[in-house]
Amino acid sequence: MRRVEHVMGFPVSLRVDDPDVPEEAADAAFAWLREVDARFSPFRPGSEVSRLERGEVPRVSAELAEVLGLCEEYRVATGGAFDVRLPGRGLDPCAVVKGWSVQRAAGLLRAAGARRFCLNAGGDVVAAGGPWKVGVRHPEHAGRLCAVLRLTDGAVATSARYERGDHIVDGRTGLPATGLLSLTVVAPTLTEADAVATAAFAMGAEGVAWAAAREGCEVFAVDAGRRVLRTAGLPVAA
Amino acid sequence: MKRALPVLVLSIAGLIPVWRHAPSHETAATSPTHAASSAPSAGSVVVAGTTVDTEKGRVQVEVTFRDRRITAVRMLRQPDHPQTTAAVPQLVEETLRAQSADIDTVSGATVTSDGYKKSLQAAIDVRRA
Repeated sequence: MRRVEHVMGFPVSLRVDDPDVPEEAADAAFAWLREVDARFSPFRPGSEVSRLERGEVPRVSAELAEVLGLCEEYRVATGGAFDVRLPGRGLDPCAVVKGWSVQRAAGLLRAAGARRFCLNAGGDVVAAGGPWKVGVRHPEHAGRLCAVLRLTDGAVATSARYERGDHIVDGRTGLPATGLLSLTVVAPTLTEADAVATAAFAMGAEGVAWAAAREGCEVFAVDAGRRVLRTAGLPVAA
Repeated sequence: MKRALPVLVLSIAGLIPVWRHAPSHETAATSPTHAASSAPSAGSVVVAGTTVDTEKGRVQVEVTFRDRRITAVRMLRQPDHPQTTAAVPQLVEETLRAQSADIDTVSGATVTSDGYKKSLQAAIDVRRA
């Protein structure tokens, strides 16, 4: 089964190799992602995040509480470099919501019987029942790869300056993070991989070592001087 | 920090002049700055890349193509520095592997719909649909 849908403003590609998994399983995964978009997008005035920001939510939902808890955890862990509440801007938990919600979508697929699948949400990947070969986009050439990773069960997320330009801000300075061209994290879950990739990117060059020191995380990074830094345990495809 | 990070030089990747996903009219040695040497065997083309100055010194690679696929990469010139003499060939090898691998998916932010249409991921989705 193969599906591609645009949700939350990016393409989500799903491939399920188990023949007995019904289309309804994919329907449910995409429905969850659309629900997340409606509830947690800061760009939708009626979302829970927007209403919270306007002081209209007396009690946040369990899911939003979980997301905000994760945001706070990464803010503290990065010394404030990763911050979903930047001065002069509204609450924007997108960086955590994406990985967290796609990991949950993968959980829905697994619960529906999927064993071998690959879910790619705007370049962030959850893979199960591999081996899967995951190419890492070259930071300067959209059509090229700079590495190929081999994943059995796990997640890969990449933060980079391409396409959206300098969109990740270092919360400590309020300035765009420019120390790295691209940073890829391999982790057991996309919740961790995506948040760590974004947080480390916000930290700049020092973020590489920070991400590498996280339990269960492997890192492939290209710094502003085009040097490649990677952890010894990075699962490079043979 | 739980472990040391070996530092490699990525810029070598940019020296490999042709990518297999390039349109078919783009063949090896299109750039006048690339000096193409004679083909060693039928169907193969050997291309010397431009010499690039890196932090550690000058680097030049030679790439052998067969049907627009990279079949070999050789260092023509590399800096005499203990770090790069060990690291550079490894990266060239890694890049060679990366370009020729049959991948299942691509990691790297594809944010816009336009970006997706032109992306490798879209090509994979279409190919396997």
